[in-house]
Amino acid sequence: MKTKNKKAALTSFVYPLSFGGLIFALWQTGVLHKLLGTDEFTLPLPSRIGNIILDNLPKIAGNIQSTLIVAVLGLLAGSLLGYAVAILATIFPRWGGGGLNVVSAFNAVPIVALAPVITNWTKDVSKDASVRSMVAKILVVMVICTAAMSINAYRGLTEVKPFSEDLMKTYAADKLTTFVKLRLPNSIPYIFIALRVSVPACVISALVSEYFAEYITGVGRQIRENIVLAQYSTAWAYITVACLIGILMYMILMVFEGILLKHRRK
Amino acid sequence: MKILKRIGDTKGAVTLVWALGIMIVWEIGAFYVQGTKRTPENVLPHIYQILGSVFSNKPVSSGQTALQIVITNAGATLLRAAAGFFIGMISGFILALLMNLSGVIEKIAFPYLMIIQMIPILGMAPIVLAITRDIGISRIVIAAILTFYPVAANTLAGFKSIEREKHDLMYICAASKWQVYTKTLIPSAIPYFFTGLKISAPMAITASILVDTLQGDGGLGCMLSQSLKHAMSIMVFWQIVLLSAIIGILSFYLMGVIEKLFMPHKRKRVMGGRRNYEDKE
Repeated sequence: MKTKNKKAALTSFVYPLSFGGLIFALWQTGVLHKLLGTDEFTLPLPSRIGNIILDNLPKIAGNIQSTLIVAVLGLLAGSLLGYAVAILATIFPRWGGGGLNVVSAFNAVPIVALAPVITNWTKDVSKDASVRSMVAKILVVMVICTAAMSINAYRGLTEVKPFSEDLMKTYAADKLTTFVKLRLPNSIPYIFIALRVSVPACVISALVSEYFAEYITGVGRQIRENIVLAQYSTAWAYITVACLIGILMYMILMVFEGILLKHRRK
Repeated sequence: MKILKRIGDTKGAVTLVWALGIMIVWEIGAFYVQGTKRTPENVLPHIYQILGSVFSNKPVSSGQTALQIVITNAGATLLRAAAGFFIGMISGFILALLMNLSGVIEKIAFPYLMIIQMIPILGMAPIVLAITRDIGISRIVIAAILTFYPVAANTLAGFKSIEREKHDLMYICAASKWQVYTKTLIPSAIPYFFTGLKISAPMAITASILVDTLQGDGGLGCMLSQSLKHAMSIMVFWQIVLLSAIIGILSFYLMGVIEKLFMPHKRKRVMGGRRNYEDKE
């Protein structure tokens, strides 16, 4: 039994790794280009992308910083606001439920429609173009993250086990105690469900909102600017960086979730 | 007062009041902006101004009225989004099926499925355009990739969620693999499949519009950037913003409607109020 488990664990490592290795080899040797019908100009070799990243490290780091600030601040502000909305909806269930419908409708509004509008709205925030486009970008990310958090947190706050609710009633617990002792802990796994959606979403919306911002900065904007200038290898370097940001943020979330929810399961 | 309360009890009325509330806030904002700005229509026009531009006959660009421009371009964008959505839906379902059929494929594909979710595909829109060299094809490709992931991941979760008893029963009945799939696995995965579709439908439309903004050749996104550059009336921009919001929301609800058409039994169960209990199990 034990050897079987070991074998399963081994294959679940070896199979995806060898598949990734295969793709990498095909890419580096140029077979992938033939399959996709492109050339090394539009789809540069991985080694070249790696070299460009290493050569332009300081410039890339600056752009990463501005994208990360937008994504993280937007994620935090949006999630906090979303949770506050969920709490309000729990306190006033009838009107709050309808309000959440409206919020979930906001979730379906394309970012591309939202970003230019918010850019227009924030023209007066500051005289400095870099500051006001930063605010606009954070607001876009915030709107996207608010919806995901409020819908999930509302479920977590309201869908408590009936018997625990009854137990709180038999103890004659007031609403505040029920909220703190029962609803709040119950909502924590749902917060992580929301974050699993909004962490990749915050990176995506940060990248897209950069397309529409006034001030030219950030990983997303660099991808676009370099494509316009037909510097595809530089653009690929920024795409690689964007992927790394997404993957790293998700991994950090997974670690947090592991720590917090493991404690709860005991 | 009592009548008002009874009306307020229905779910639709609550949403309606919220929608009205947003409109009122919008109008207050519009009046405020009108007083402070030189070009208020760039920041926040009145709702009646936008509606007026929808029905106006004044040609905005190359002999077309604002509405005509928006409708023709929306058609082009939606068609490509739908094509990508359809391709992504089918390939996502097939991959989920293959992953469930073969452990090897699951082991190979699942980690990459996780990674695809974290890669900002929308950020890659320009590079897809550079590879495909055709704005139409790249829109379809990106919409397909964005659809593909939620559908595949959700459908696989659906296949895995089947109750053991059902599986055992099929085994006892000596059902063939084909029968197991058509009779139990696929029906039980369908709700999950639709959850995936609901997530990806607005995303496919976003993708399609976004790729438009990168290059000409028509489409909502292209008109969006042109009207922002004041090549035509700014009202075209507001019409597009409203329309894309409406399309995004409608696409979400459309998936819900199709879901109900496919699974009338599920609807009844939800209406019977048993769903809550099942969720809490």
